[in-house]
Amino acid sequence: MSELQSALLLRKQLAELNKNPVEGFSAGLIDDSDIYRWEVLLIGPPDTLYEGGFFKAHIYFPKEYPLRPPKMKFITEIWHPNIEKNGDVCISILHEPGDDKWGYEKACERWLPIHTVETIMISVISMLADPNDQSPANVDAAKEWRENFPEFKRKVARCVRRSQEEML
Amino acid sequence: MAESSEPHKIKLTVKTPKDKKDVEVPEEASIKELKEIVAEKFGATAEQVCLIFAGKILKDQETLKGHNLKDGLTVHLVIKSVNTSRTSQETTSNATSNTTAQPSATPSRPTEPSSSSPFGIGGLGGLAGLSNMGLGSGNFMEMQQNMQRELLSNPDTLRQMMDNPLVQSLMSNPDYMRQILTSNPQMQQLLERHPEINHVMNNPELLRQTMEIARNPAMLQELMRSQDRALSNLESIPGGYSALQRMYRDIQEPMFNAAQEQFGGNPFAALVNNAGSVAGSANPQAGQENRAPLPNPWSGLSSTQSSGSSSEARTTGENRSTSTPATQGMPGMTGMLNSPGMQSLMQQIVDNPQLMQSMMNAPYVQSMFQQMGSNPQLAEQMILNNPLFASNPAMQEQMRTMLPTFMAQLNNPEIQSLVTNPQAMSAMMQIQQGMEQLRQVAPSFATTLGLGTLPPPLNPATSTVPTSSPTTSTTSPPPPTTTQPGSDAFSNMMASMLTSLAGQGGMGSGIGGIGGSTQPPEERYRSQLEQLTAMGFINRDANLQALIATFGDVNAAVERLLQNRPMI
Repeated sequence: MSELQSALLLRKQLAELNKNPVEGFSAGLIDDSDIYRWEVLLIGPPDTLYEGGFFKAHIYFPKEYPLRPPKMKFITEIWHPNIEKNGDVCISILHEPGDDKWGYEKACERWLPIHTVETIMISVISMLADPNDQSPANVDAAKEWRENFPEFKRKVARCVRRSQEEML
Repeated sequence: MAESSEPHKIKLTVKTPKDKKDVEVPEEASIKELKEIVAEKFGATAEQVCLIFAGKILKDQETLKGHNLKDGLTVHLVIKSVNTSRTSQETTSNATSNTTAQPSATPSRPTEPSSSSPFGIGGLGGLAGLSNMGLGSGNFMEMQQNMQRELLSNPDTLRQMMDNPLVQSLMSNPDYMRQILTSNPQMQQLLERHPEINHVMNNPELLRQTMEIARNPAMLQELMRSQDRALSNLESIPGGYSALQRMYRDIQEPMFNAAQEQFGGNPFAALVNNAGSVAGSANPQAGQENRAPLPNPWSGLSSTQSSGSSSEARTTGENRSTSTPATQGMPGMTGMLNSPGMQSLMQQIVDNPQLMQSMMNAPYVQSMFQQMGSNPQLAEQMILNNPLFASNPAMQEQMRTMLPTFMAQLNNPEIQSLVTNPQAMSAMMQIQQGMEQLRQVAPSFATTLGLGTLPPPLNPATSTVPTSSPTTSTTSPPPPTTTQPGSDAFSNMMASMLTSLAGQGGMGSGIGGIGGSTQPPEERYRSQLEQLTAMGFINRDANLQALIATFGDVNAAVERLLQNRPMI
């Protein structure tokens, strides 16, 4: 029953996104037969370091969705304090619900069943524009962002350029 | 929805960050057709259009059906920015509009490194580096391009900048320049692949000279404007990239010449003009800016180039070499000899037997010999106009009398081979230096020997190249000039000099005076000499010469020694 519910919900979201796409990303399925595995193409937000880039990411939904959060992973190489070097996105709203055992995040900042692909993507886009260096996933990137911004910029620009080459 | 008025057409919404428009396309259309429609609607070209649907970028060869694009759906549109720069930046057009993405937009693009770095040496490379260092940021190449663009549009800034004492002092610091150039990763790569180029880097004088080109605004502008375009043209030819590298080696020399004769115009303009029709006419663009659109300098060659690009490149390089002296040298030969640059060229030749040798071996020098031989008047004029002689009528007279013999000598292959022999050259140099030294140390003795007839040295720097210099630069047979005159006093003196040199071996190594330092080079480079000996280079004189030529750079000296070995 919950499986059916999650699939229905995701299908509805996908149809809605294709018809009325939200600014900044485009969503589809990796494989049309599997509604739980999405592929999104994130368009580098304007006026950020990532502008001009096309970043591909996969979102994996659990069958328990929306009770449990999906995981998101960038396929395109991207240099960002809150994205691990392997591409895993680390933002609070994708963390398992409930109170943080280390007390960093409040329950309301974590996964809530009201989140959709759209809200996740909006969070990710705003994260690109404004990294959170308090809980970095890529420590090197965070350090660079804080202490050697020109180098950070250079690396991001390289990612952007590569992402363009990959796509075209 | 789909079953609206037109069954064959579907309506898609195309959405950009700012805009949203509906387009109608045939259901069976390909993405390419869709792109064309979208492009028209948004006032862009089809190449600029990038469509995204369902997490995927739509590619030209795909179809609407393949992407399940149905009526009423929305696709994202990204319009890539128009290519504003004159350089070949199509691939990054998106990034170029974006200041933040720009810094690293170049490095891994295949066309850029080569187009910038080979001429980065001679052109703006160092300059861009300067500003780059100042800003402490970003990427060398991209900076360079930006700067070029800016400078091109504003020549006054360029001139101001070049005249800025800070820039000048930086440019005259060879170590700094070398550092800047070698800090460029592309440059490093180039150097790794072509150790010969290392010599350029290790030759501060040459570096400085190339930077001098940059000071001539017209030439610089022309250079900057043409380099990217010309090179990208060349590169698009199969095998063009390696041809480029080879060509660079051939260019190195003429470029150096051009640095000496600043009035000579742009060496690259000569390249453009002469690639198709070899040599002959005077360079019409000497000293002035070329505003006409560039022809593709390689278009005439491209067909052969693709089949046998390597040999072709060789000829291109040589055509070019031949044309440079021919176009610039002959008509303006006398002026050239009077130019201050000539003096430093002579100095350079003494410092750098390698250069001398390669110059002598260059086909254009050979052809010049022949021309000289067949046209004694030209040769005479050339010699008489040399500053060294101009200031010394007696010498001039002497030259005039011995000219015929000299001309005959010019065509003597033995002499030519002598000149191309580095050992012979260095021996000659030593004799002359010894003479010079003797003249200073014991003037009265020198006078009795007839040395007094030697012209006084022009300045300390050129003092080491006395009588032979007039011809060294252009025709370079010092031996005829000094030994052929038939003046007994002179040849006697030479002979006695030789014996006295042989007698006191210490003097033989007096070459070190070249550098102008009071310390003899053996002292100055003692540790380096020991190093070289420890490495197994046992020829002390050769070691010393190499060190002098490389200003004590052991690595460069080793390379030099290794290169010279087969010829010795």
